[in-house]
Amino acid sequence: MSFLGRGSSSQPSGGVNTAKIDLAITELDTVTDFFNRMVSSCHAKCISTRYAEPDLNKGENVCIDRCVAKFNEVQKKVGEKLQNRGAANAGG
Amino acid sequence: MSALPIRFPGGTPIWAPGKEPLPLGISEEERAQWEQMKKWESYTQMAMESCVAKTVLAGGAGFGIGAFFSLMSASFAYEDPYLRQQTQAGLKPHQKAREVFREMGKGMWSSGKGFGKVGALFAGIECVIEGYRAKNDIYNSVSAGFVAGGVLARNSGPKAAIGGGLAFAAFSAAIDLLFLRRETAEED
Repeated sequence: MSFLGRGSSSQPSGGVNTAKIDLAITELDTVTDFFNRMVSSCHAKCISTRYAEPDLNKGENVCIDRCVAKFNEVQKKVGEKLQNRGAANAGG
Repeated sequence: MSALPIRFPGGTPIWAPGKEPLPLGISEEERAQWEQMKKWESYTQMAMESCVAKTVLAGGAGFGIGAFFSLMSASFAYEDPYLRQQTQAGLKPHQKAREVFREMGKGMWSSGKGFGKVGALFAGIECVIEGYRAKNDIYNSVSAGFVAGGVLARNSGPKAAIGGGLAFAAFSAAIDLLFLRRETAEED
């Protein structure tokens, strides 16, 4: 999924290089957006607003683990569906 | 270009793998060692926060408290002259002392075991319930108290078990509401 390595090893002659760099930028934006959304959504769901102690409770820990796992799963499924739709559009 | 590490609060800094910044005082040669240490620290933290560790610690604390209470009450029991006369009729002083310490040890052991069982049961069940619900509120303690009270009174028949469970649940709720979840005053 990551194009960052290959983008830097092609010859420095404009054209193909900028396309790959654009892809890399888009991917980085996507990942950052995904991470920020996950953090704010799981924080809103799992962490209570009453700050009684600095450490996370066991309940909050478990909730965060589950929330992150679900978010990842959904992200993968949505990505697959988008890819399939993109492939169907390109083919059909 | 958003590939730069974002330097405002709440932004997500993105570093190249293997080039994350080290804290002050750690040089590049010590990076592998540092990451190894961090890995083991995270394992230790996971172990300390697990249900097994909480059960063991609560059981140990219960044992200590039971032994301490028994120690305090054993000195009062020894002060009874009639009991002394009965149990230590014709013994020499050092035998008397040994008997006293043996009685004290037995009392401490049995009382400690009882309290340790209570503590371990309650802490273990509460941890499991909280891990299952993934929420931190008072219902975890109340349910854990009910189940622990029921388990402790299981040999006295169903009504006694339910009554014991309700009593322990009420006690646990009282302790939680009055001491643990009390709203602290806002400090300005």
